[in-house]
Amino acid sequence: MSALPIDFALAWDSLPQMAEGLVTTLLITVLVLVLGLPLSVLVTLARMSRSRILSWPAAAFVVFFRGAPLLILLYLVYYGFGQIEALRDGPLWVIFGSAFACAVIGLTLNHVAYMVEVVRGSLNAVPAGLVEASAALGLTPRETFTYIRLPLAMRYGLAAYQNEVVMFTKGTAVVSVITVIDLTAVANELFEETYDPFTPMLTAAAFYWCLVNAIRLGFGALENHLNRHQRREQAVKPTTPAGAAAAAAEPPAGAPVAPLRRMIGSDRRPVPVKAAAPALSTATPKEHAL
Amino acid sequence: MSALQTETGPQPVAAPRPIAVEMTGVEKYYGKFKALSGIDLTVRKGEKIVICGPSGSGKSTLIRTINRLEPHDGGTIVVNGITLDGSPTSVQDVRLECGMVFQQFNLFPHLTILENCMLAPRLTRKLSKTQAEALALKYLERVHIGAQTHKYPSQLSGGQQQRVAIARALCMEPPIMLFDEPTSALDPEMIKEVLQVMEDLAEDGMTMICVTHEMGFARRVANRCVFMDQGEIVEEARAEEFFEAPKSDRLKAFLAQILH
Repeated sequence: MSALPIDFALAWDSLPQMAEGLVTTLLITVLVLVLGLPLSVLVTLARMSRSRILSWPAAAFVVFFRGAPLLILLYLVYYGFGQIEALRDGPLWVIFGSAFACAVIGLTLNHVAYMVEVVRGSLNAVPAGLVEASAALGLTPRETFTYIRLPLAMRYGLAAYQNEVVMFTKGTAVVSVITVIDLTAVANELFEETYDPFTPMLTAAAFYWCLVNAIRLGFGALENHLNRHQRREQAVKPTTPAGAAAAAAEPPAGAPVAPLRRMIGSDRRPVPVKAAAPALSTATPKEHAL
Repeated sequence: MSALQTETGPQPVAAPRPIAVEMTGVEKYYGKFKALSGIDLTVRKGEKIVICGPSGSGKSTLIRTINRLEPHDGGTIVVNGITLDGSPTSVQDVRLECGMVFQQFNLFPHLTILENCMLAPRLTRKLSKTQAEALALKYLERVHIGAQTHKYPSQLSGGQQQRVAIARALCMEPPIMLFDEPTSALDPEMIKEVLQVMEDLAEDGMTMICVTHEMGFARRVANRCVFMDQGEIVEEARAEEFFEAPKSDRLKAFLAQILH
């Protein structure tokens, strides 16, 4: 065998199988994320609610599922529920009898519990003044939430969400313990068939790496889109002395607006001629003294 | 209307006009701290009231109780005939009567200038997109921002942002405007452009209640000035008297502090 621990022929041959595993991994990831996002917003709202009937169960949910070890949670959902005869004979067995569905359920519970804190932090980061301004305009609390708080919270929470998604995607590997054949399970099978410990694992790792980076790029694009109001700001704002001249092309900040005062106002408020001079207003009397 | 005209208001406005805001014995507590105590204030339609006083005197709290951003704990507040009793409908109705401009502008950063102005008319007044856009452009034009409607708030200067905030409030066409230190967060060279817009508004007959430290503005525009200290209205007078012949020692001391 060569010095490299990787058997490229084996890696190449395993690609179709790996791709199948990847599809399962992707499917689980996407399903859980799609289920998890609205659920976590709902649980967060319950958690932040003033009503204890809502906030206490939500808080208990978070405490329990954030603390529960994921692996054990999956065992319990898959093997534990299978022990309940009523469930085995009932209509819900379609779900609890399937390892895939159990994986999605277990992961969703775990994911939502983490996400509640992300969503809560993001909602709390929205400046109170904006919520007040919205209320003062006559928007109802629900409208304020839909049009102001949620869109802004999405922007604030995006980085934390990306972290959670990346961690979670890699974390889906645990589903192999309840017989779901995901990317990691495929690699494991190949290892057991070939006794090559490196090639299948490294191939799977490469797949995960690509997946995570695809996610990263996706988030980057999303962030760019959502934060377009800031990006353009950066194009305009960081003006050093040289930039001041460039800024003059824009409607200058300090320039007086077109005079709209009536003639009668002309004797009001004698404005110092050099009002816009860089010196502070305290300098004006000195100028007069001179 | 006729009943109101028989009343003789204390202020020498030609004929007493209908009451826009009436506060009677308003109290407000933050925990045990009494932020407002026994506030009696009547503002008639078309009046311009300036409220001033040292920091922490309750000016902002007072103006924020008028549209119930701060609920009051005692007394009554009636805005254009609507009694603020804390019911969601009364709160909503009063907020449609009052436009508000904040010290920190509070423009929605993720919306363009135009969208900032269109949001509330579309949602609350149920205007169509074209109607709301026409309305927004009309008021943005009026505050001289007409050319920059597709920018985002962060791309404008402070003075421009505050003028947008004024236009945004005007788009709801409220009969009363509340200004909570509208120029305090601005660089000195931008204060004038905002005050000009406010003065223009005043000349159009808008009912205005302004918390401000701009004493020049108060002299030029205000019908009445109200001086607050420690949660109370200490003195209330016509602008000339207020500045030329203050009665209370606290106001004298305050004016000596700020008029340099």
